[in-house]
Amino acid sequence: MILPLDFILILFVFICAVAAITIKDLLSAVVILGAYSFLMCLLWTEMAAIDVAFTEASVSASIGTVLMIGCVAKTKRRSKD
Amino acid sequence: MFEFIVGHYNYWMYVGLMMIGFYAMMAKRNLIKKIIGMNIFQSAIILFYISTSVKKGDVTVPILEHAHDGHGAHAVDIMHYANPLPHVLMLTAIVVMVATLGVAVAVTIMIYRRYQTLEEDEIIMSIRRG
Amino acid sequence: MKILSLMTAVLVGAVLIYGTLDMPKWGDPHSPANTHVSPYYLHHSLEHTATPNVVTSVLADYRGYDTLGETTVIFTAGMACILLLRAGRKRRGKGDV
Repeated sequence: MILPLDFILILFVFICAVAAITIKDLLSAVVILGAYSFLMCLLWTEMAAIDVAFTEASVSASIGTVLMIGCVAKTKRRSKD
Repeated sequence: MFEFIVGHYNYWMYVGLMMIGFYAMMAKRNLIKKIIGMNIFQSAIILFYISTSVKKGDVTVPILEHAHDGHGAHAVDIMHYANPLPHVLMLTAIVVMVATLGVAVAVTIMIYRRYQTLEEDEIIMSIRRG
Repeated sequence: MKILSLMTAVLVGAVLIYGTLDMPKWGDPHSPANTHVSPYYLHHSLEHTATPNVVTSVLADYRGYDTLGETTVIFTAGMACILLLRAGRKRRGKGDV
């Protein structure tokens, strides 16, 4: 573990989380959620959990993002809040 | 006091992430926004569990060194490797998280086909109107 | 409604932060999570399973039934997705006709 790197990464994770729930365009929100997942993956690599990190990168960041983009494509893209 | 903050600030950060996800699950009206909040909530909890496996100092990933040259099995220094048990449990939790996401997305598509909207208040109005 | 949810989230967060005050420091090698079960796995995984990667040996050998249950969960989720989407399509087709 490296303390300053951890602090900077967790700051980026916070920014991504707040942006993902405030943006009104749903496709942008989903793509920002993918970026959030990849930052989480970096955070876990920094905590020496590489198995969890590449599971997250392959499963949550790619398959999850593809599922959400499919959902947005099948439904509406605009959101009211 | 400074030692205490450095030793505990990461727990507070995870609680903050969890609060963001929880607020999005409760207050946002769009169903996809609720799913995004659920994802953030689950990630924050997994992050908390992984952070209990961290050890300070000269620590590497939990893959044993010198495993194939015969004398590695007797000289494992456990302070040199990160704790593998939370990693295993959270590996399971990540896969279950994606399964939950898939079912949630399927139900959302069903709701959109039935009511032609994703906003919670419009769905409730449509149900009340019959 | 928004104020109520914000208050609930902040209340839960405050309770959780109060709970973290007793936690061991981050990265403490002698915390209970790091000293209880995992030294056994680290010491014996090589002679029991001949796998250098401790995470995979625990996942597939020591806790194999756990992974089997996880596979059941994923199978159930996949079947639920397929059944939900197909049922919706069929009902909508009948309504159109």
